[in-house]
Amino acid sequence: MVRALVVASLVFLLIATAPSAEEKQLSVYGPQVSYSLPVSEHNSQDYVALLEALEPFGNVSASTLGRKWKLRFNNLEIEFRQNATVGKVAKKKFSLPAPFVLEGNRGLVPLRALPGLLTLVLDTRTEYHEAARRLFLGGAAIHFGAAAREGGLSVNFSAPVNPLISTEPGKLKMTFTRDPVVSGAGILKLESPLVSSIAFSENNGQAELVVQGRVPLLAQFAANRRTIILVAAPGEAQSAAPPAPATTPPPVATPAAVVPPAPVAAPAAVAVPPPPTLQSLTAKPPFVVMLDAGHGGDDRGALLGDKLEEKAVTLAFARRLRSELQSHGISAVMVRDADVSVPVEQRAAMADAARVAVYLSLHATSQGHGVRVYTAMLNSASSPPGAFLPWDTAQSRYVLGSRALADIVKAELGKHEIPSSEFSAPVEPLNHVAAAALAVEVAPSGSDVTSVTLAAYQQRIAAALAEGIVVGRSRVEADR
Amino acid sequence: MTRALTIATALLLAAVVAMGAYLYYLRRNEQARARDLPDTRPISAPVVGPASPVTLYLAYDDPGVLRPQQVSIPLPADPAQRGREILHALVGEYVKRPSSHELGAGADVKDVFLVNGNTAVVDTTPAFAEEHPSGILVETLTVASLVKTLTANLSGVTRVKILVDGEERETLAGHADLEDFYDVTAVEQMLQQLQ
Repeated sequence: MVRALVVASLVFLLIATAPSAEEKQLSVYGPQVSYSLPVSEHNSQDYVALLEALEPFGNVSASTLGRKWKLRFNNLEIEFRQNATVGKVAKKKFSLPAPFVLEGNRGLVPLRALPGLLTLVLDTRTEYHEAARRLFLGGAAIHFGAAAREGGLSVNFSAPVNPLISTEPGKLKMTFTRDPVVSGAGILKLESPLVSSIAFSENNGQAELVVQGRVPLLAQFAANRRTIILVAAPGEAQSAAPPAPATTPPPVATPAAVVPPAPVAAPAAVAVPPPPTLQSLTAKPPFVVMLDAGHGGDDRGALLGDKLEEKAVTLAFARRLRSELQSHGISAVMVRDADVSVPVEQRAAMADAARVAVYLSLHATSQGHGVRVYTAMLNSASSPPGAFLPWDTAQSRYVLGSRALADIVKAELGKHEIPSSEFSAPVEPLNHVAAAALAVEVAPSGSDVTSVTLAAYQQRIAAALAEGIVVGRSRVEADR
Repeated sequence: MTRALTIATALLLAAVVAMGAYLYYLRRNEQARARDLPDTRPISAPVVGPASPVTLYLAYDDPGVLRPQQVSIPLPADPAQRGREILHALVGEYVKRPSSHELGAGADVKDVFLVNGNTAVVDTTPAFAEEHPSGILVETLTVASLVKTLTANLSGVTRVKILVDGEERETLAGHADLEDFYDVTAVEQMLQQLQ
């Protein structure tokens, strides 16, 4: 009996002292402010306090009269009744997917109703990631991409970030609670000697990037927290370095903050290849052309004629050009090989991560004739090979090479009797590409818009572009 | 009440209900259509006063160039407001039909702000971007036309930023970059290539 009581007490103690399950939370990201709210459960539904959700955006006050709850936000009134599913927002009827809950003076609305309420009240567009409980207001979003750099890998963000960084064997985790980090792709496969992949996930109001390392990693902030540089942890770096390197790579940017790695053993979760050498990190990567078929997925691009979508034309043309390049012995990779959406900046990040030699952004138009070749509208700037390049002007170092390549391509188009012109233009995402980068816009051959889809016409252009790249290869290599 | 009268009354009532439901359906459709239409209301009161000569740099899609055109419009004294009126006149040429560079109904410039005397921030209506034709050249011409017209008429402006409904936007209609400030010298160089 006593023994049973002791066991029962121990079980009770264990249950009582066990850590509570992770509390549910919602993260709201706005252009000016980001915050998190606790989420409570009522009748198996998620609820949030409406007053707390609106507080960061202006003057807000609430009053309770019996079962009626009124909230005033700036000059707008919101009214709900306890257990009712219909209320009023600015004197207009507003339906809730579940009954309104009154907890003392706190008015709780179903979480699923919050995006609609904020859209009405704040007059802004919202995007709600329901499974992850992340709510984006007014297009707030931070995109990221990875780029190889001397001695490591840089993960570049479109705005400053402040993640919590932790390490565990084989992995480095970045957890973003206040940063609206989003990703078009779930996992970014890399051929870096340090990192094999970067996986994006989001859950419970947080986003997480998990970097699968080939060696224990150290993270450093740079570029005003827009970049996180991943390098081999000190012990690994020493073992990675040759005994007496003839050349030393330029030092990495002074880190704003350094997160010391947790004392980890050799990564267990990933296969550990031989440590990279400095030569392998600084060696010139192979000559690869990245073909970026413009638009895709939800972004159809221009409408050529009545039904023809630019995204379909660019994809067909990119596939043709890939075959043409491969027939000349040049490796070509595609940003997309299906009708999928890829954010514009992500495309540049992919080119930078792959350290391609040439990046071609492919577009189609119904206006004009022939082919237009564009280069970035940036001034040339010199920097030593391997030096850190600012995201907004990464192309500056390569723009002269890009223009030289554009001249060559134009000449080759001329040889194939395809009318062409060449300009500098503010085309996204050329400015962010750290390689020779061109945007190529294919226009109809004559008055018939559908001629941009003709196999023979596309083939002639693809052949001319491929020959242009073959001829311009040595000029491009000189800049790498 | 005879049986025939009962049937006639029932039919009439059914017709009334059906008509009511149809009217409700039409009203909802009309409201939805009105919501989806771009807002074409004027965004500022018209300026009155003596007209001043202004040079607009109009985009021509077919040859892909800008061409100057002299117009006379009333201009306020404040430089920023003057910039807004000049760009309002420019975009007005593009929403006319026919136009050398057609923009969608509701495209307009809401405001122009001058920062430190050398930076102009041009705020446009949502329809300016949402109804804009998509294409590298056509979008580039719009940007160049705004920048060139503004700087030709407002001295000292060296950088121009374009916003859409008060917010930064990645691209105008899928191609031209709207995230960065436009350097006036770089736009001039680009225009020389276009001419």
